[in-house]
Amino acid sequence: MEKKKSGVNRRAFLKSGLVATGAIALAGTGAFVLDRATSGTRLRPDFLRPPGAIDEETFIYGCIKCGLCVQICPVQAIKLAKAGKGLAFGTPYIDPREQACDFSCDALQCVETCPTAVLNFKPFKDAGLAAVEQAAAEAGDDFTSVNPFEVQKVAMKQIVRMGKAHVNRDSCLAYKGEGFKGVSRGTNFKGIYRAPDTQDASASPLADKEFDREICDLCITECPIGETAIVQELDRNGRLVPRVLDGCTGCGVCVMICPTHETSIIVEPF
Amino acid sequence: MPAMLKDYFSTGKNKEPLPPKSKDQLPHSIQGISYVEWRDAKKKNHKWRNIRWSVLLFMNLLFVFSYSFDLSILEGSLSGSRLIGFYLMDPFNALQLLAISSITGYVGMLTMNFWIGLITILIFWFIFGGRGYCSWMCPYHFLSEWAEKLHIYLVKKKKIRERSFNIGLKIIFFIGFLLLAVLTKNLVFEDLNMVGIVSKAMIYGPSLLLLWVVAMLLFEAFVSRRFWCRYVCPIGTTWSFVGKLSPLAIKFEHDKCGYCLECQKVCLVPHELWFVQRGKATQDVHFVGPDCTRCGLCVDVCPGDALTFAIKGASALV
Repeated sequence: MEKKKSGVNRRAFLKSGLVATGAIALAGTGAFVLDRATSGTRLRPDFLRPPGAIDEETFIYGCIKCGLCVQICPVQAIKLAKAGKGLAFGTPYIDPREQACDFSCDALQCVETCPTAVLNFKPFKDAGLAAVEQAAAEAGDDFTSVNPFEVQKVAMKQIVRMGKAHVNRDSCLAYKGEGFKGVSRGTNFKGIYRAPDTQDASASPLADKEFDREICDLCITECPIGETAIVQELDRNGRLVPRVLDGCTGCGVCVMICPTHETSIIVEPF
Repeated sequence: MPAMLKDYFSTGKNKEPLPPKSKDQLPHSIQGISYVEWRDAKKKNHKWRNIRWSVLLFMNLLFVFSYSFDLSILEGSLSGSRLIGFYLMDPFNALQLLAISSITGYVGMLTMNFWIGLITILIFWFIFGGRGYCSWMCPYHFLSEWAEKLHIYLVKKKKIRERSFNIGLKIIFFIGFLLLAVLTKNLVFEDLNMVGIVSKAMIYGPSLLLLWVVAMLLFEAFVSRRFWCRYVCPIGTTWSFVGKLSPLAIKFEHDKCGYCLECQKVCLVPHELWFVQRGKATQDVHFVGPDCTRCGLCVDVCPGDALTFAIKGASALV
């Protein structure tokens, strides 16, 4: 009786051990493949990480894939990568052609909400506070003229570096000397943004806005950062063309708004 | 005090068993009814199951509605969330992250919200019984209960054979997944995590990984009953460590027990109910061990009310 019982136990234990070893080995192989496919190399260079993202290798294990950044974004620019997107599964990304980050949340809320600091808020906080202090010092006794919230939000968004925009000179309308009239991405386009010339607090549909430009300059006029990021200038051939400066945050509003069939401006992630 | 603590953690398993009760001492004899009549009296009682399913569905729908209707009450997912502004972290996710980041040095970068979230959830489930998370919160557990019904039916019809494994398997998986995370510098388990996949599929929309969930449910229905929850899930194992300390537990009273074993038949972790068998109990009162999910199925089914929800150590304090 006793002997038979221990025999059954040993067999059960061996069976269990075999299952466990097999499963762990399988998971290990899967993880190895996953790891090779995700860390370091980015298979989709047109996808951006949200603002404040740290280096990709740390990002992959630091991100717990909770989706809090996705939920807080008022323009729903952030999505979680599904299988086959070329990014680690479940990690957040922005596809700027579909919906760019337009900073209409005003406070980099995705960065602030991230519990594991893979979207690292510290540099933004520091820059914001430093800017407020400087503005207060410059204003001197006249400190009531300074709106600390305004100063802080401008300083914070200016140091975002998701990537840098590049213009494709072959397809850009400005390089062809062409203008643009109409709705830039068609009336069915879902993307929203807060235009620099509006007083609204929230974003509105791009499809509702009609443009009429003699020389296309949408990427320049609609940029949420302004003249530190992108300017219009005369090139050697006497054409008025966009030029991206080092102040570009890589937010991708220009990518979303570009009216050519394939976007003529892309953001290359850092 | 040490004696009291020893009592608190003792399972009583290595003590000398009490003598089994005689036929006259069994509850059905005392009530003067037949054994079968006594045993089947509470077959249709689903009080705790209904309460538990309501809580589980309510919490998971709260996640979904918080996002889709912008209620902002319970944001995020079961991998990490925020309840009216207070962060909550999945403990095994956090454990993997801590293991990797203590090696790479990233650990110092983690926000205060992360630590608060981790400590809050550990305290919460310490109070509410560790693996209580599994049966009262986990959406996969809910799906798995339906696969289990099919499994039990198939076994009863003799279409399939019951296949069980060693319960120590879950420790191997727990350590294995932690090691994998450290070796690959990747939260490997998060890609296989049933809780996370189901929770995120409900909130953010379905993904291809749902096929993995379906595959596991089929495996549980046709091969091994509750395989994932019993033998694999390291989140459950993490919670069972918390459950070891938790005061909320199922209490067993030997004098009300009729040795019918109905409780072991419905239990996710029947090895924790070892004392219900004739001649196994070593004390008049036992508390169910750390793997117990406090689901209350045994409380519902127990004809003699020998199993109840109770606060461990309460008698010592009063």
